[in-house]
Amino acid sequence: MQPLSGVRKYRGLGLALAFLTMLATSQASANGEIGAHVNNLKEHLDQYTEEVSWLVGKFGGVVDTYEKQGKEAAHSDSMIEYWEEVDFHAAIETHYVPVYAKIWQGIFGVKQAIDNGASIAKVREEQAKLDRALWQALGAVKLAAQYQQKGLLAKVQTTAAEPTTAPETLEDIKHRLDRVVAKYAEQLPEAATTIVHDTYLQRFEGVEGALIEQDADLVEDLEKDFNVTLPKALEGQASVDDVRKVVEAMQAKLDRAKALLVKAENNRKDVF
Amino acid sequence: MQRRTFLQSLAAAGALGTLPLAASAVANGGVSVEQLPPLEGDITLYLGRGEGGLYENVLDAIRKRNPGLDLKVRRGSTAALANSIVAEAKAGVRRADIFWAVDSGAIGLVTEAGLARTLPADLTGQLKAGFQYPQWAPVTGRIRTLPYNTKRLSPGQIPDSIMALADSDLSIGWAPAYASFQSFVTAMRLLEGERATADWLRAVSKHAKGYAGELGVVMAVERGEVDLGFANHYYTLRLKSGKPDANVDLAFTRNDAGCLVNASGIMALSEGDLPINFIRYLLTREVQSYLASEAYEVPLVDGVAPPRGLPSLDTISPPKIDLTQLADMRPTLDLMRSVGVL
Repeated sequence: MQPLSGVRKYRGLGLALAFLTMLATSQASANGEIGAHVNNLKEHLDQYTEEVSWLVGKFGGVVDTYEKQGKEAAHSDSMIEYWEEVDFHAAIETHYVPVYAKIWQGIFGVKQAIDNGASIAKVREEQAKLDRALWQALGAVKLAAQYQQKGLLAKVQTTAAEPTTAPETLEDIKHRLDRVVAKYAEQLPEAATTIVHDTYLQRFEGVEGALIEQDADLVEDLEKDFNVTLPKALEGQASVDDVRKVVEAMQAKLDRAKALLVKAENNRKDVF
Repeated sequence: MQRRTFLQSLAAAGALGTLPLAASAVANGGVSVEQLPPLEGDITLYLGRGEGGLYENVLDAIRKRNPGLDLKVRRGSTAALANSIVAEAKAGVRRADIFWAVDSGAIGLVTEAGLARTLPADLTGQLKAGFQYPQWAPVTGRIRTLPYNTKRLSPGQIPDSIMALADSDLSIGWAPAYASFQSFVTAMRLLEGERATADWLRAVSKHAKGYAGELGVVMAVERGEVDLGFANHYYTLRLKSGKPDANVDLAFTRNDAGCLVNASGIMALSEGDLPINFIRYLLTREVQSYLASEAYEVPLVDGVAPPRGLPSLDTISPPKIDLTQLADMRPTLDLMRSVGVL
């Protein structure tokens, strides 16, 4: 089991992540039942910790088997089954999607290394990344539990709420882009592309008219990102890290957009 | 409706009865909110996803002005909400008292199901000729336009007939998957017929470049990627607001689907005066002017000025068409698929 310091190492990052999570609208899990536990994280922290330890052990077992008996015996598919079996899966998916994406990325990193017959050193390298993602996720969930306990986290809803203002819409778009990375990391590029198209039509279209009055070049950039850059990255052979870079660049632009629209809204005339 | 609300509404109706509303609307550029009674009671609005928060600002202002009003809002895509209203009615329940839809096609779905109340004549009489419907009130309009690149074209080079564009050698930007474009094709289908519309789509597709949305079309026109495009008017006005030296201007066809004026609209679904009086608030000159200046939408109440940069609606010659007929989208989608533009 990872020592406690492994969790502490990511505490600072987890703090920032949790703050961001507070601002995002919690949404339903795309991978099945959420379970009531996600709205009562503190009560389940021991269970989550146990599950993460269990996962680390199971994934390690797959790699050990690969080292001793080769890829057929390793049954790399079982890694996905292990991950889908635990409640911790929904806990991190509903509270911090970027780290959730890293777990999928880590699982497929190990799995593909095994399936491709990579050296054990390479597989261990991928395994270490996966372990780090898992512990990082546990840190994020522990912090989310603290905020939840203080009433600072929105309840996870089983249906998505409609954002009502431009800043809320932009936050929702950022959250959806995190899910794009998660789906791509889960090796579901078509699902990721669908999220991009839906996000453009159902969300970005609603705010870009107001945004173009503030910064036409920024809209031009984001139009290109939504309709060319990101879909192309998802269609091609881009790595998860490359897709994440595109998304992070878009999210930075969306933050600029949000600041502009908040300022514009403050200067807007009253209706009556 | 609760007894308390009913009594208050009766009082409100009495106050309204003293006002010659339609006449004052014409004389003063719409009824002022100051002339309206307070709204009191519980009401549920189904609100189609619309203009990036500006409709929400209107709702917030109405709430603020009417502390006795408990306004609940369910939001979603306009089409989904229209389907919900019809499904709820079939199931024998009614959750919405009013429905504010961003396109009139969805309005048609609900009126055809017989779920909309007839509106008072003094209310519909505030609206411009051609936009007076017995069972729903258009709130604001949007005009189909031809945004063109001012470096590449002069106005004289642009045909004033949408059908003539099929035979032109101009490069065109369009967004066939976009709902407003599909409403425009529906209007063409109703006005010109299936065959002429299919021929037009085929011919235009040979010199058209596709975009995901109509702001994308306008931006492509501005960049000079194409000579002109098909888009609702407000994208160009908003782009020019943010970029005053943008190389784009608006042209209009005459009396055909190319200058269709489509509208957002509102309807009352439940009995009583509260839903009707709520609708009156949206037709006030304050709300109409706000949506014109902030969202660049076209006011449809007589006497309220259009958004800056847009000619008066009186100078545009939109086709005569019942906007609720635009609900019949399926044949349009089938047609667009059959000619390979979708």
